[in-house]
Amino acid sequence: MLTVVTFLPLAGGLLLLFVDEELKETIRRGAMAVAVFTFLVSLDLLAGFQSSPGEYHVYQFEEMRHWMSSPPISYHLGLDGLSLWLVLLTTFLTPFCVLCSWHGVDRRVKEFHVLLLALESAMIGVFVALDLFLFFLFFEAMLIPMFFLIGIWGHERRIYAAVKFVLYTMAGSILMLVAIVALYSQTGSFDFPVILQKLVSGRTTLTMPTERLLFLAFFAAFAIKVPLFPLHTWLPDAHVEAPTAGSVILAGVLLKIGTYGILRFCLPLFPRASVEYAPYIAGLAIIGIIYGALVAMVQPDYKKLVAYSSVSHLGFVVLGIFSLNAVAIQGAIYQMLNHGISTGGLFLAAGMLYDRRHTHVITEFGGLATPMPVFASLFLFVCLSSAGLPMLNGFIGEFLILNGAYLTNPWWATLAATGVILSAVYLLWSYQRLIYGPVTVEKNRELPDASGRERFSLAAICVMALVMGVASPLFTARTEATVTRILQSEMTRNTRYEAVQRPTGAAVPVSVPLVAAGAEGGKAGRP
Amino acid sequence: MVQDLLSRLGMQLPKEFALILPQVQLGIFALGILLTDFLLDRKSRWWNAVLALAGVGFSGKALWNLRNLEDVSAYHSSIVVDPFAVFFGFLFLISAALVILLSVRYLEIEDEHHGEFYALLLLATIGMMFLATGSDLITLFLGLETMALSFYVLTGFLRHRKASNEGALKYVLLGAFSSGILAYGFSLMYGIGGSTNLARIAQAYAERSPGDPLVLISLVTVSAGVFFKIAAVPFHMWAPDVYEGAPTSITASISVASKAASFALLLRIFCTAFWPIRPNWEMVVAGVAVASMTIGNFGAITQSNLKRLLAYSSIGHVGYMLLGLVAGTPDGFKGIAFYLLVYVFMNTGAFAIVILLRREGVIGEDIEDLNGLISRRPVAAILLLIFMLSLAGIPPTAGFIGKYFIFLSLIETGHYVLAVFAALYIAPALYYYFRVVVHAWMREPGGAARPTISVAQGVALAACTLFILVAGLLPDRFINFAGTTLQSQFLQMILR
Amino acid sequence: MTGLHSHRYYTSATMSPGYLGNYAPLLIHILVAMALAGVLLSLSALVGPHRPSREKAQAYECGMRPTGDARHPFDVKFYLVAILFILFDVEAIFFYPWAYVYRNLPRLFGFYEMLLYIGILLVGYIYLLKKGALDWNK
Repeated sequence: MLTVVTFLPLAGGLLLLFVDEELKETIRRGAMAVAVFTFLVSLDLLAGFQSSPGEYHVYQFEEMRHWMSSPPISYHLGLDGLSLWLVLLTTFLTPFCVLCSWHGVDRRVKEFHVLLLALESAMIGVFVALDLFLFFLFFEAMLIPMFFLIGIWGHERRIYAAVKFVLYTMAGSILMLVAIVALYSQTGSFDFPVILQKLVSGRTTLTMPTERLLFLAFFAAFAIKVPLFPLHTWLPDAHVEAPTAGSVILAGVLLKIGTYGILRFCLPLFPRASVEYAPYIAGLAIIGIIYGALVAMVQPDYKKLVAYSSVSHLGFVVLGIFSLNAVAIQGAIYQMLNHGISTGGLFLAAGMLYDRRHTHVITEFGGLATPMPVFASLFLFVCLSSAGLPMLNGFIGEFLILNGAYLTNPWWATLAATGVILSAVYLLWSYQRLIYGPVTVEKNRELPDASGRERFSLAAICVMALVMGVASPLFTARTEATVTRILQSEMTRNTRYEAVQRPTGAAVPVSVPLVAAGAEGGKAGRP
Repeated sequence: MVQDLLSRLGMQLPKEFALILPQVQLGIFALGILLTDFLLDRKSRWWNAVLALAGVGFSGKALWNLRNLEDVSAYHSSIVVDPFAVFFGFLFLISAALVILLSVRYLEIEDEHHGEFYALLLLATIGMMFLATGSDLITLFLGLETMALSFYVLTGFLRHRKASNEGALKYVLLGAFSSGILAYGFSLMYGIGGSTNLARIAQAYAERSPGDPLVLISLVTVSAGVFFKIAAVPFHMWAPDVYEGAPTSITASISVASKAASFALLLRIFCTAFWPIRPNWEMVVAGVAVASMTIGNFGAITQSNLKRLLAYSSIGHVGYMLLGLVAGTPDGFKGIAFYLLVYVFMNTGAFAIVILLRREGVIGEDIEDLNGLISRRPVAAILLLIFMLSLAGIPPTAGFIGKYFIFLSLIETGHYVLAVFAALYIAPALYYYFRVVVHAWMREPGGAARPTISVAQGVALAACTLFILVAGLLPDRFINFAGTTLQSQFLQMILR
Repeated sequence: MTGLHSHRYYTSATMSPGYLGNYAPLLIHILVAMALAGVLLSLSALVGPHRPSREKAQAYECGMRPTGDARHPFDVKFYLVAILFILFDVEAIFFYPWAYVYRNLPRLFGFYEMLLYIGILLVGYIYLLKKGALDWNK
């Protein structure tokens, strides 16, 4: 089942290869059909998913096949609450990527769609892979289509941005590869559940320096991907230069792979190191939140503004994760999904403006409410969801994160809360400059309003934002078990180490509030 | 074939003869090509290539018969046929076959299509096979010189091109110099061991104190000679000029087969005679490896000539392979063998693309000549991407598995710093490999014409691509093949 | 055929601190040669008759002018012939060890082996004949 969902887009893409290059419309429709079909198939995962699985069924839809024996790699796929939603997010966003490229991409159409679908496969693969090696493989496989999407169909400085993107991501992921191999030489397995089992049961123990190094190596790869504050410089370039579909995928899904990796691998595998480094990382996350928001505020280029807002929003997610309690982690997961939907929507809107005027500069627009009323209202909805208006999705994620962060350290929550205010400032201010006021540039008077295709995509995003805003238990219920498990493996091991090294263990007391918060987690998940 | 013929003449062959049959058959075909060349007119010179391929085929058949032997030494222990020798023998034959396939069209365009080319290539292959199979200093040196002399001539084969002449001259002068140093080191080894046999020399080294100046001088001179042959820093200076000047198919051969043969020599000496003094050279080899990765990877970034770029990248690859020797574990040696096997295909493939760019009146070696390859020849652009990804070591290509084993062996032996170094150098490598890809995929084509692919070139390219993908996705079989080298006695002895 | 067994041709005394002793005969040989040359030279100078002439004082070189520019270019053909001569000459040297061990070889094996060797030389000879390497006027 997971294999089907993972490789369906790739197979569709390969089929598209046989279509004649000139039949652009056919190719677009074919790609759309593949993307939609994949989404429908992936809905089946949602239907079959059990919110409270038994003790021994941690991963659902599990698939396990022998692959190589010499590096002992198995083809091991599985789905839990965390990956379920991210897979769905991926399959949900891809059709919109095809839609928004309908007119924007007119050159080398076939290659574009084949690469887009290959990218979708790789992204789904990342979320469902349970073998570290397989995970790394998908992680790398993702880079190549993205490199071409930015490098071929991007804007002026596209090649620079593409190469920068690849180099940054690669530098981090290579360190992760070394860590994966090192972990293998310690535990004798590449299989994530097996490694975790060995570590939790104490059959293999890592020395503290080793654990620190391995944590940092994994974390570096994911922090670049997120991107965490000092490592974020590739993101604005990549976003600004990427075509609309590339931006949507990049913001919607690729950034989540960083936070997904932290939740999936860093926390459970290296509990002591993650507790030890949590304050520093949270500090960086808070800097990222405020810095991202402030820089976003002064951007003259709308796409760059959204890019920096991503830095800020992802800062919230990292803060939530490293608050290390159930509420905050629930919030972090929720915020990951929110950001995918809202920022995806913002980029779609930016792309629509670009299709009309071939610029992203804010001052080139103004007063768009007159020629494009429907667009303006849908756009407002997306902006508000991103800014975290109650009843819409953004609010719930941010609320949970701040709530959880407060439990761990009130100062964190206080500082981070300024980010919420700032996000309202830059989003609404930019909205005002784009949409309200008099029409300053004559050309804009003639602009056509959103077409049916565009209305549909923005409306779908808005509906999702509303659903996630009012029906959050639908989502949190399915991630609850996962969150508890992450924290449990964290807790059991920390308390054991604590017992062993009581005299020296200074960094461990955090685990005490964990117990309370862990039990509270499920309920707190439903505001 | 030869055996049948001779036994029909009533000649009893000594059993030992079967062990060098692969080399003998190559020799017969090399001589044959020299003669048949006179019978062929300009248009039908490609028959030479067919003959050369047949020779490689027969040689491969003879080598196949030896595949299950375990350490048979013969001719007064001057050669030893073990899985190591058989593995490397196949590697050289594969490389020779690919190079022959790639050469036909290229030499026609260069207007230098002579039978000697194929004859020399086969002779060089004989030298390489003796390098892999020799267990005696004299055999090894003769093998090395047979290979090197043939390559000197082949490098200068494009008589009317200045770069080719210059490359050949540099190669001869520096090569002779390094061979001299190597011969001096061999003479010291002979002096210390009282024998030219490597096993005996190893015994003598084990009995000496490790700080013995004689031992150290022999170590330094022999390593200098061997490092020159594999183009490791600081003995790499010749590589870019020779690679640029030589006919492109020969560049592929020098960078792949000659390098693999020199690695066979290096492993044979370092894992027998020099193994007892391992503490003396471990850090030196590690230093040379890191220096090679540094110079190779950073040197390649600024190159605008594709052949020079690949020359620097090959210096970088040498660094990775040397790290396997530093680790000195089964995984390390297996890693070197597998890496070399993959390298044959991926580097030959990359050079094959450069060969495709060569047309009447167009040199086609500049990185700008790749511009817009995706619209001119999509297949070539896609293959180029695969080769570059494999060279950079991105999964799911075979190049990644090679690097994986090197990392694994380093981590197993606690060389974490080296592992991180080796890993980080993938980033600059990726930068220049992707620069090539950017030119092929993202730049607008100039007025350049559409490259054509001859049937022979198509076969070679297909073989390279197929191997890289299959060995990347289902590597078990190939890893086992590379792993057979570990069963050789000389490796068994040190790994015990 | 199996195992490592070294052969007498490949072994010699190990290099040891006293290994210079091996070279004593060489030293004696050099000394004797120097002494002999000195004696002969001085004897001829003392005893021989002296009738110098212009022709005698000139250096002897076969077919070359003894005076003029030393950087006189030679025709490349000379080198070719010289190299071919050395090649075939050196290859012929292998007949000597072959003749030495011929009796000890299995019946006819040595014969065929040498036939093969000469065959290889023949290929080389035909090759250079066809290439025109022996054609002085080409």
